[in-house]
Amino acid sequence: MIKVQNLTKTFTSHVKEPGLVGSLKALVKREIRTKDALKSVNLTIEQGEIIGLIGGNGAGKTTLVKILAGIVHPTSGDATILGFRPWERHNDYRKQMSLIMGQKAQVWWDLPALDSFILLKDIYQIDDATYKYNIEFLAETLMVKDQLRTQVRKLSLGERMKIELMAALLHNPKVIFLDEPTIGLDISAQKAVREFMKNYQREFKPITILTSHYMEDIKELCQRIVIIKEGEFVYDGPLSDVQKLVGDEKVLNVTTQEESFKINVPRSELSQKTKEVLEQHSVLDLNIHDPSIEDIIESIMRNGVGAS
Amino acid sequence: MRRYFRLYLHFLRFSFSKAMEFRIDFTFRIVMDLIYYIVNILFFKVIYLHTPMLAGWSEEQLMVFVASYLLVDAINMTFISSNMWWLPQHINRGALDYYLIRPVSPLFFLSLREFSANSFLNLLIAAGFFSYTLFTYSHPFSFLELLLLLTLLLNGVALYYCIQMLMIIPVFWTHSSRGFIDLFWAMGIAMERPDRIYQGWLRKVFTVILPFSLVASFPARLFLEKFDWETFLHLASVSLIFWMLMLFFWKLGLRNYSSASS
Repeated sequence: MIKVQNLTKTFTSHVKEPGLVGSLKALVKREIRTKDALKSVNLTIEQGEIIGLIGGNGAGKTTLVKILAGIVHPTSGDATILGFRPWERHNDYRKQMSLIMGQKAQVWWDLPALDSFILLKDIYQIDDATYKYNIEFLAETLMVKDQLRTQVRKLSLGERMKIELMAALLHNPKVIFLDEPTIGLDISAQKAVREFMKNYQREFKPITILTSHYMEDIKELCQRIVIIKEGEFVYDGPLSDVQKLVGDEKVLNVTTQEESFKINVPRSELSQKTKEVLEQHSVLDLNIHDPSIEDIIESIMRNGVGAS
Repeated sequence: MRRYFRLYLHFLRFSFSKAMEFRIDFTFRIVMDLIYYIVNILFFKVIYLHTPMLAGWSEEQLMVFVASYLLVDAINMTFISSNMWWLPQHINRGALDYYLIRPVSPLFFLSLREFSANSFLNLLIAAGFFSYTLFTYSHPFSFLELLLLLTLLLNGVALYYCIQMLMIIPVFWTHSSRGFIDLFWAMGIAMERPDRIYQGWLRKVFTVILPFSLVASFPARLFLEKFDWETFLHLASVSLIFWMLMLFFWKLGLRNYSSASS
């Protein structure tokens, strides 16, 4: 179980004007800027649950993941995962945890995947039988059996991501952090990774926190989502309830001779608004539908809850 | 302990298989290091053309000292220095992430992961020269004295490593590309001189603040001259303090690690 209480992380950085003059000024007097990456967030996740962490760039997703993985120390607040405080980096915690970052490779580029795996076997003290079974099972389901003996840098991006997944799951982690696992992958590779994670989750029931910019990932894998904006959680609940956030609203899709646009309209004003649109524009096409989950999340990330 | 030994065997295997791929670099490194050895030896040989004694040592004794620091240098080059080259970049680019999540000491990993197979042959040459100077040394010495020299030189490697680390660890705060490692290389030549040539405050600097003289000169002195406790205790206590300082600042650095965002 993951329990996060009032977790806060503040980064400080120096502001420096560009150029030589700026550098000299910075030597004498430095302006310090603080940025709250996380503002007192709370979160509870049960064993077996997978949650989707959604937010724009710099919203604090990765910071949260890095604190929970024990890489970064929080400024204040507390968190326990499986009974451990992550940033104390207890070996018993680290043995049960895994982190996969789509943008940072963990396997060694110059080596065939199998070499990296053997190293991981000794690092995690995986016994021979488990190791053999996991290699077999993971390579089979991810369909990378023929790539294990090739130097990783010679593999395609999609194949490399699958190898990363294998490397991260060899030790049967109970807690998995998946940070943008499908970034940069083509559609079929994205689909394969998604499909795999779905089955893996169903079979082994780890706690998983998934961050992704692709709504497909989230929709496919997570029942529960947390939306983070400027370091604060603006929504934590079932994905299916997101629609309720915006109340009784409809989306008008309008195409005219010149342009096409979207307007969000409360249901009560729907006929009035439609009439106005039809009168003011020469409409080629018009349709009315419920806002999609993408629309709602985008609107929340832009405007916050209840202000769409 | 056994696990760490096994991990290290993997590091060795990877490094050798990688080195075989880059054969030009391989020969280049060997030639470069050979030149470095010859220059060092000749430098002192030339001095002895003008004087029979230097810092209280005869030419023969001084060659034991030269062989000692060349050995320390070769060990450092083979086992440690590549890692020290990468470390600041790992810290700045956020590549420490994957080392921190593993159930292994990140310090072990980051300090010993890269074994320079390229320098290995040089280590053999340095060890050969070291043995040669001892075999031809005209004063008799006991096995125990030899053991003491070797132990102190290994301690010298550890101390040399600590000084490097202490120059690199500030990268956690400065985010500069190299930390103060340039200072280390600029001052490092102090290791290659007998400690007696330094007097006054300079002596304090090289025996306490940046204790390069303790790496090879003190061990050589304890071996070549009559063993004295004062020198030995000085060497032992400064080494211990540096080791502890290094571990302390390393932990402090990790606390401050902000992990460049992906």
